[in-house]
Amino acid sequence: MLFLSLLYVAVFVARMKGDTPVNSTMSVGQARKLVEQLKIEASFCRIKVSKAAADLMAYCDAHACDDPLITPVPTSENPFREKKFFCALL
Amino acid sequence: MRSPPTPEMATQEVPLNETLAHLKTESETLKSKLEEERAKLHDVELHQVAEKVEGLGQFVMKTRRTLKGHGNKVLCMDWCKDKRRIVSSSQDGKVIVWDAFTTNKEHAVTMPCTWVMACAYAPSGCAVACGGLDNKCSVYPLSLDKNENLAAKKKSVAMHTNYLSACSFTNSDMQILTSSGDGTCALWDVESGQLLQSFHGHAADVLCLDLAPSETGNTFVSGGCDKKANVWDMRSGQCIQSFETHESDINSVRYYPSGDAFASGSDDATCRLYDLRADREVAIYSKDSIIFGVSSVDFSLSGRLLFGGYNDYTINVWDVLKGTRVSILFGHENRVSTLRVSPDGTAFCTGSWDHTLRIWA
Repeated sequence: MLFLSLLYVAVFVARMKGDTPVNSTMSVGQARKLVEQLKIEASFCRIKVSKAAADLMAYCDAHACDDPLITPVPTSENPFREKKFFCALL
Repeated sequence: MRSPPTPEMATQEVPLNETLAHLKTESETLKSKLEEERAKLHDVELHQVAEKVEGLGQFVMKTRRTLKGHGNKVLCMDWCKDKRRIVSSSQDGKVIVWDAFTTNKEHAVTMPCTWVMACAYAPSGCAVACGGLDNKCSVYPLSLDKNENLAAKKKSVAMHTNYLSACSFTNSDMQILTSSGDGTCALWDVESGQLLQSFHGHAADVLCLDLAPSETGNTFVSGGCDKKANVWDMRSGQCIQSFETHESDINSVRYYPSGDAFASGSDDATCRLYDLRADREVAIYSKDSIIFGVSSVDFSLSGRLLFGGYNDYTINVWDVLKGTRVSILFGHENRVSTLRVSPDGTAFCTGSWDHTLRIWA
């Protein structure tokens, strides 16, 4: 009884983790696909982190004044901060 | 939906084993080469470069609106492009469209299933898409007539073989991108319900997706229970980049506004930033005191701030460049399950297991 429930749990866990079997039971087709995928990723043209970081900083800097959460806009221009209450005039 | 590839039948025992072993060695070699190439370009850390950047001033944000009406956990929300309407979905099977300025409910739809885990607003503002345990993504055109039964006009678009975890319209109302517990993502034509492209590569449930900002082209990123974040080419269905540094399920992914990077939030209690051109993780946003998972992340308009909704009921606000926490926001009485910044960046909305949504500004 215990064995059956443990087996059930094991199958449930395996199913929850998705359909792809673990490496040791991978088929040739799947292994070939993995190699192809890795070849594509390996051939990618990368840039240095210093350059990437500089570009991220430049973007933040260029758009800081347009970001209402960085460069606060007057309360009257932020519809959520306004104290006005909306009434429907019928 | 395409079913997973069936294992090839072995015709001869010995050569099959040799081929498999050879392929495994080749994949290990390629993986090491990838790591080596990535490491070569790792000349500096983002937060080091950002030391010279001015620190952010005092950050004050409060709950400005509370949207009450859902009967159970709020699971997902999305903003309309008009910056005031919001669609939200809940475990109780209801999808509600709100006017966030007035907190009025404009539309409500009852789905045939509970756990509506995904919802999205169409770019035109004229329709919403939603789905969950029904394994489908359905589109409801929004009628101006409040009395009209929205459910009558429902269009079933996507069909997966497991729950729908996320959905998003592309640049128009005509196409929808979905992700599912069946481990795949898919692109659908709304009008015909036809599958245009499917994306296979995740080894487990896909939990989230985000489309690249329109200027940067036809790609999207997805995150899953296999701890991987994959970047896909929408036209070819090819996975072009893959990142595996998280230690647990990735619950949320969001592109940096320039499209050159994306952030992720995970059950491992960290948010991470991956730069697409450097092809690596460039920042981790974490603290020893934060031990609960991140359910949802989004950037402020300039990309300087990263908002994370956590399972410990809080929202942590991070300085993206310096890697430090700017603020922690309290208010929800249960897990924050979803978080989106408004289209004009003036506010952000959170949805929670406490049945409410909050607008923060």
